[in-house]
Amino acid sequence: MDNNRQGAKASIVALIVFIGLWIALPSTIRRLNKEAFSEFQAPAIQLLSKSRDLARYWELRSRSTEDLVAAGRDLARINATLELKLHAMEDIRKENLRLREMLRYPNSTEYLTVVARVATRDTSTWWQRMLIRKGRNDGIRPGCPVVFGNRVVGRVTTVHLNISEVELVTSPAFRCTAFLEGDDPPRIVHVSGVASNPFTTGRAKVSTTGLGGVFPAGLILGTLEGGVTSTAQGNLKEAYMVPSKNLDTIEEVSVLVPKYPTAGEILMSPTDRIKLEEFK
Amino acid sequence: MKNLFNESPHSTPSDPLSRVRINFLFIFFIAGFIYITAGLAYRQLVQANEIMVQSDNQIKRVVIRPPARGKIYDRHGYTIVDNRVRWSVKADLLSLQPEFRQEYLSLIRKAKSDPTVLKINYDALSEQARLNVLNGWLDKIWFVIDANTDKPKRSKNASKLPLNKEERTVNLLALRKHLTESRALKFTLITDLAFPGSENASDPDEANRTVARFIEQFPQGGPISLESDMVRSYPYSTMAAHVLGYVRDSTDLPPNVDDFTDLNFDNLQKLRYTGKRGAAGIEQTFDPILSGASGWELWTKTSSGYNKELLRSSEPRQGSSINLSLDINIQLAAEEALRTIKDSTGNPLPGAAVMLDVNTGEILAMASQPTFDPNQLVNRISNKYYDEIENQGGWLNRATQGQYAPGSTFKIITAIAAMRNQVIDWDDILECGTSFRVGNRDFPEHGGEAFGSVDVEKMLTISCNVWNYRVGLKLGPDLLAKEARRFGLDAPLLRMPPSLSNPSTTELPYPTNRLVVPDPAYKQRIGAGPWNSGDTANMSIGQGYTLTTPLHMACLAASVARNETRTTPTIIHDPNRDGRHEGATSIGLNKDQLEAIRSGMKRCVEEGTARSMQIEGLTIAAKTGTSEYFKNGEKAHLAWVIGYAPADNPAVAFAVLIEGQLDTSTWGGKTAGPVAKAMLEGWLQENDKD
Repeated sequence: MDNNRQGAKASIVALIVFIGLWIALPSTIRRLNKEAFSEFQAPAIQLLSKSRDLARYWELRSRSTEDLVAAGRDLARINATLELKLHAMEDIRKENLRLREMLRYPNSTEYLTVVARVATRDTSTWWQRMLIRKGRNDGIRPGCPVVFGNRVVGRVTTVHLNISEVELVTSPAFRCTAFLEGDDPPRIVHVSGVASNPFTTGRAKVSTTGLGGVFPAGLILGTLEGGVTSTAQGNLKEAYMVPSKNLDTIEEVSVLVPKYPTAGEILMSPTDRIKLEEFK
Repeated sequence: MKNLFNESPHSTPSDPLSRVRINFLFIFFIAGFIYITAGLAYRQLVQANEIMVQSDNQIKRVVIRPPARGKIYDRHGYTIVDNRVRWSVKADLLSLQPEFRQEYLSLIRKAKSDPTVLKINYDALSEQARLNVLNGWLDKIWFVIDANTDKPKRSKNASKLPLNKEERTVNLLALRKHLTESRALKFTLITDLAFPGSENASDPDEANRTVARFIEQFPQGGPISLESDMVRSYPYSTMAAHVLGYVRDSTDLPPNVDDFTDLNFDNLQKLRYTGKRGAAGIEQTFDPILSGASGWELWTKTSSGYNKELLRSSEPRQGSSINLSLDINIQLAAEEALRTIKDSTGNPLPGAAVMLDVNTGEILAMASQPTFDPNQLVNRISNKYYDEIENQGGWLNRATQGQYAPGSTFKIITAIAAMRNQVIDWDDILECGTSFRVGNRDFPEHGGEAFGSVDVEKMLTISCNVWNYRVGLKLGPDLLAKEARRFGLDAPLLRMPPSLSNPSTTELPYPTNRLVVPDPAYKQRIGAGPWNSGDTANMSIGQGYTLTTPLHMACLAASVARNETRTTPTIIHDPNRDGRHEGATSIGLNKDQLEAIRSGMKRCVEEGTARSMQIEGLTIAAKTGTSEYFKNGEKAHLAWVIGYAPADNPAVAFAVLIEGQLDTSTWGGKTAGPVAKAMLEGWLQENDKD
């Protein structure tokens, strides 16, 4: 009986000592520990995601040859259309470059695109995040925009070796500036916060400004739903926005990695002070 | 037993005196105990609520938030004073406490290891630690704002924003003031992120880019946050600046949205954000209407005075809006025209222009030159800008605060007085030479010309001086003064209508109260000696002691247009205004006499001194004036023109005054006429739209 009591006491003491030590540990070691845990967890997440892909693959394998031939034909048609669009886009790009040079207009941020499969997603909880199967090894950096086509999905918050966490556009912590369709002159709207000045009502499209240096201009964030309400203060207005894509069904996303690190990225890195001095 | 303590035999308990003492002590202690118990009971049972409220109040505070001010519209509903969102970057000092502490300890370590430091000043180190940490954050903020998102190496030259050095480092005095007076509130690092150099507002694209960079790139969730509030915005810059006025920082906020009956508000500690109160123009006189109601937040506070937890709050309520009678198109036309009247060095001459609706008295335009940009005064008034405007004399609203001799525009009064008092009739002719002798002095005709036979109509057409000397001397100063007062030339204008229930007594602040319609008693009163006939001659042509404002002269023109003696001007638009004017009666001239006056003013534009303001398709009645005044001891001219249009069916009346430079090159028709013409063209365009 006494032995049991002593054992229980010893366990409690050990727990308290462990908690105390954990609190007393330097933040770097704790961060490293967290990082190690994420890296340890990553293969399991990847394995789960890949097994889902495999299941899907076998599901497709079970389709009839006729179905696959029809799908292949549709795909070839789409490919041909896209090929044409690609040529047209290339012409527009060259024309754009020529005009920019002529007007001595500064180059917009250049991005490298990294396509990534979605590993897991959780849109129901308050953190509203998604894990993707690409990480530091693929050149992804924190703060990069994540898109599906021309629609904003979210923004990379944490990057591990082979997986990255994406904060979704629906998250309360997501911040971005946007313009509203039909707002003349265009005024900045603070998405997930308050909007500035009166704007159009109805189902106006909300798209990125491209001014903040993170998101390219013109990506669609969503559409306004319901009425626009004024705050008691007067000019500020608020409205609900519905995201442009159902985030629960996305299988694959593109991460736009800026060619050069943004100032925000430099600040977020642990050695920001040194780098800040470098750029001064 | 040996008495070790050498006790007195009186100290034995059996001693009756000792018993008395013991009893006394017993009673004393019992009384003391009862007193303490009763006191405790009183506090616990009777004062419990009061004490609980006091204790509660000690850990709570109310933060008062200013409301957004109401908008100001012109008569057609165009917004002429608005509010814009101001994005400020603020630091939460409570969240920064660990950083302050770390920096403080590091500074102490450094000081201790420095052999040159003999005595460590811990207070100074604590202040320095705060400053270092805040400057570190400010560096990061500017790094994000300045950086070029394309290639970081270009960041040095990337920003097109005007550098506001004051907001590149933390101002120590501002930090000290904040810690002393309002440490519970967040400390403002950058007041206006979109326009960091408020003296030179950057272009809107660059302003948007700055805010966007901060929102998208600056790490969030930390002690630094972006907060928005409303600041005054004057979209038309200098337009009607003297009428609209400007606002100034104030912690004297308007009353709160709600009563604090359940919060025992009076006993709570209060902290006020800095708000804005009207400091000039309509912003000042209509401040109670425009300023709305303040909001509040009830916070618990930490022992060191920082806000801890928000318990309750109430949003501020925006102020009511006001519709002014101004018409922005006419106003802009008047101001543009005033700017084009320049002296020999190319600088615009000081002046004022007013246009009224003849029937309602509503002011359609009121311009004063030089002027100022109220946008420059929104965040704070820089000494440089204040001095610049002060040296130009730009703070003065010349339309209501300038005092000027009316010159020949006064001849309308002289003519009316003469006909009403049967000194002369409309068709009587006087022979007018090149001058007229009054006492021992020759009073000259303008231009040295002899106009020959002159009646009322011709006198107004050509602005004959000699006619007025002769008629004025016959009338005498008292009748001239009586007539001028009948038209209200020295009466206070722009009095606040009681229906607006506004504590201010006038619609625009501080209209001049030094108006003069002189008479012999006045001259005696100012100690200038007895009145003489030369004074009467001068008075008859609007010279001498007479002083009035451009607004008064515009009212005179409107009154003549309506055949009434008074016009009540107003700056507030009311579509249901009935057109009755306080104290107005008929001028008292017969049809021919009135026609002579009106026809003379009409011909003044067609063939007389106001030819410069002819407009095709519009008949105008006007009277010019060129009076003399002394500027810095040298003779200069004041150029006047007053009138109304259309001459046959008056709708608008106007008055323009230009202060000439130190020579006599400024003349009523030539100098002031084009400004009146521009205003009338602006009115015509508006009229065509309607």
